[in-house]
Amino acid sequence: MRNNYNWTFLLLVVAQLLLCNYFHFTPYVFLTLLPALILCLPTRIGTTGALFIAFGLGLTIDFFAEGLLGLNALALVPVAFVRKPLIELIFGKEPFEHQENLSVQKYGSLRISLALIIALALFLVIYILADGAGTRPFWFSAIKLVASLFASWLLSLVAVHLLSDDER
Amino acid sequence: MPREKSVISKILIFAIFVGLEVASLLILLNNGALQRTWIAGISHSFMAKTWGATQSARSYFSLKKQNDELALENHRLQEAIRRYENSFIASDSASVVVVEDGFSFTPAKIVKSSANSQHNYLILNKGSDDGIRQNSGIVTPKGVVGIIDAVSRHYSYALSFMNTEMSISARLGRDGVVGPLVWDGLRSNGAILKEIPLQIKFAPGDTVFTSGYSSIFPADIPLGVAGTGKVVNGATNEISVSLFQDHKTLKYVTIVDNARMEEIEEIEKLQEEKR
Repeated sequence: MRNNYNWTFLLLVVAQLLLCNYFHFTPYVFLTLLPALILCLPTRIGTTGALFIAFGLGLTIDFFAEGLLGLNALALVPVAFVRKPLIELIFGKEPFEHQENLSVQKYGSLRISLALIIALALFLVIYILADGAGTRPFWFSAIKLVASLFASWLLSLVAVHLLSDDER
Repeated sequence: MPREKSVISKILIFAIFVGLEVASLLILLNNGALQRTWIAGISHSFMAKTWGATQSARSYFSLKKQNDELALENHRLQEAIRRYENSFIASDSASVVVVEDGFSFTPAKIVKSSANSQHNYLILNKGSDDGIRQNSGIVTPKGVVGIIDAVSRHYSYALSFMNTEMSISARLGRDGVVGPLVWDGLRSNGAILKEIPLQIKFAPGDTVFTSGYSSIFPADIPLGVAGTGKVVNGATNEISVSLFQDHKTLKYVTIVDNARMEEIEEIEKLQEEKR
């Protein structure tokens, strides 16, 4: 059911584009699904592949969204770089050895959440720093990081549910 | 072999990661002026720190050279001080004399003094070879020190002001009444201004000067400040004076010689004979 995964992935990319273009209610929250998309890439895709996908995906979002070109790519490539070590750290070597994709049903919400929070934190720290470019006070960046992390984590859990369909 | 392949693979992945990050950054810098300024600032700060650290390291390693240069400079300055001191001693021994209103001033150094008896004395390093004569005064910028009592070729013996036999003519204020000033016999900076008429008003804090009535000391050398007064025998006031010069801390003095002293004494003598 790879086709199903691809469609879900594509829909989530579109959802991310919509979030970037239309979700401007507050400057303190930035919603992102991109780390979850990279984390939930099929495990048969290695780090090199994930790096290029992250770069391409980041640039695509930057290009179609009202953002700076290169900003999402800059923040997403490191997530792809740490994806394999992070998965091995939290879920063990099993997912890559057996080429099993991440699923909430198998690994539980807690471990999935932990992996998501680490990936999101890495992404958001780079994104918020590069976006602010030293012009924002520390407290603003800190509040934005915490609020965005919480909101994006909830949204990403839904995305992971959608992507980790057992039928895949 | 698989291990080597794994290492190469990891290096390759890292290189791709760095390459993609650099590419993202370059794209970002081309599109965001704010980001360009920010990165430029970070870059300049990094370069400044790197250069600063390099400079510090360079300075550290050049410390030995700087120390050597400082030692040479120190040596040169010490030589200059020594030359200056030698020239000062030479001029001192030649007795630099400044003449003013008939008074000549000769710098001298106290080589011995007493301060614990009622008849204190001083021995100065200037004698008849330096032009010092008996009955010359000894002063400092802070007051009167004593009077030369005896002179040898190289030394002078002087009666200190801290001597109960010593009395100098002093004036209360610049234009006030004149009276003899004597040591109080107690303190090294204490004196008593005597024979001040009762009708003369004074206030504690008034300055006491040399009167210039004696032929030994020039007029208007500040001596000290008046304190409280007390009536003696119901006829005159005695005023305590706090001297500016503490006689226990003396080291360098000036000998004052009045070149017209003989002329003054002669005219006095002549008048006394006429009577």
